[in-house]
Amino acid sequence: MNKKIVAKITIVSTIVGLMIAVQYNTMQQPTARDTRDIWEIRQELSEEKKRHSELLSEISALNKIVEEYEQNDAESQAQLLKNTVDSLAQQTGITSVSGPGVILNIVPASELIEFGYRIEPISPDLLIRLVNEIYHYNGLFVEIGGQRIVHTSAIRDINGATTVNGVPIDKSNLEIRVITNSYEDAEKLYSYLYASSFRDEFYLDNLNLVINEAQSNLTIDEYDGDLTNTYLVENSKGD
Amino acid sequence: MWLLPLLGLLLGLAFGLLTDIQIPAVYEHYLSIAVLAALDTIFGGIRANLQQVYDDKVFISGFFFNIALAAALAFLGVHLGVDLYLAAIFAFGVRLFQNIAVIRRILITKWEERHIKKDENTV
Repeated sequence: MNKKIVAKITIVSTIVGLMIAVQYNTMQQPTARDTRDIWEIRQELSEEKKRHSELLSEISALNKIVEEYEQNDAESQAQLLKNTVDSLAQQTGITSVSGPGVILNIVPASELIEFGYRIEPISPDLLIRLVNEIYHYNGLFVEIGGQRIVHTSAIRDINGATTVNGVPIDKSNLEIRVITNSYEDAEKLYSYLYASSFRDEFYLDNLNLVINEAQSNLTIDEYDGDLTNTYLVENSKGD
Repeated sequence: MWLLPLLGLLLGLAFGLLTDIQIPAVYEHYLSIAVLAALDTIFGGIRANLQQVYDDKVFISGFFFNIALAAALAFLGVHLGVDLYLAAIFAFGVRLFQNIAVIRRILITKWEERHIKKDENTV
């Protein structure tokens, strides 16, 4: 086999190698085209920015607690610990809370009742959407018909009756209490709910959603059920 | 003898992988079939070389012609709505296996011959 033939075979095998590599590349990582425009990218950036500032403020709050722990003597450290436990208890829903907030009422639409329309139970899907939106717009604590919403709360249909935490809710006049961080947040939540399509959505079910003005002081009772904990175990002392 | 082509193959592979060249998903079929055609040509060339019937012109023309034909067949198939590229894959696949089988037989025969010669020399 002379050199010329070897050279030709080498060229051909180089081309084959290249083709195989390109094919491999194409099969391994199909290119997903980025079809976002500047506006969408800016919006995503602002979302991330918001998250960034939230995390920063959370870090500074936690740092403050750490500093307090380090500076204070044993007695006030016990007090600090108690404060932390209290705030955690408040977050999980085992203590009552009060603060600025908004009260919503869901009542049957009177003009429809007069014409003999039936009152349907409030749809759990609609209620879940409402609660999600409330949390989205900075609602901190929510109570539906006297039932505090905690992390294990279920809003669902049981035998035709809409229940919250397993307790059937009133369908003639349901009160939803929402507590927010500040009065401004409460006003914002009120404005948002007023402008949203929720009132129309409820009217489809022959119900009226009454959104009351923001109030400076509201109280929500604690969760009255048992909060079961499956995964965390208490350590015995000295461990 | 075979070192240089092997080196060429590795060079091509390295070049393709390192530059991260990609082709649009629409042309994936064409490239896959072209790769198959190229492999078929290479193994055909090796077989011809072992059988001492290797012809330069046949090898080079076969390489490019097979690739072009396969791509053309795939193109026609796409536009007619018939998966003609399957025909090319089938044909090239069968030929690939046949060529490799022939290469294996030739190598085994050569190896046996060498063994017999060695035995004769020692006796």
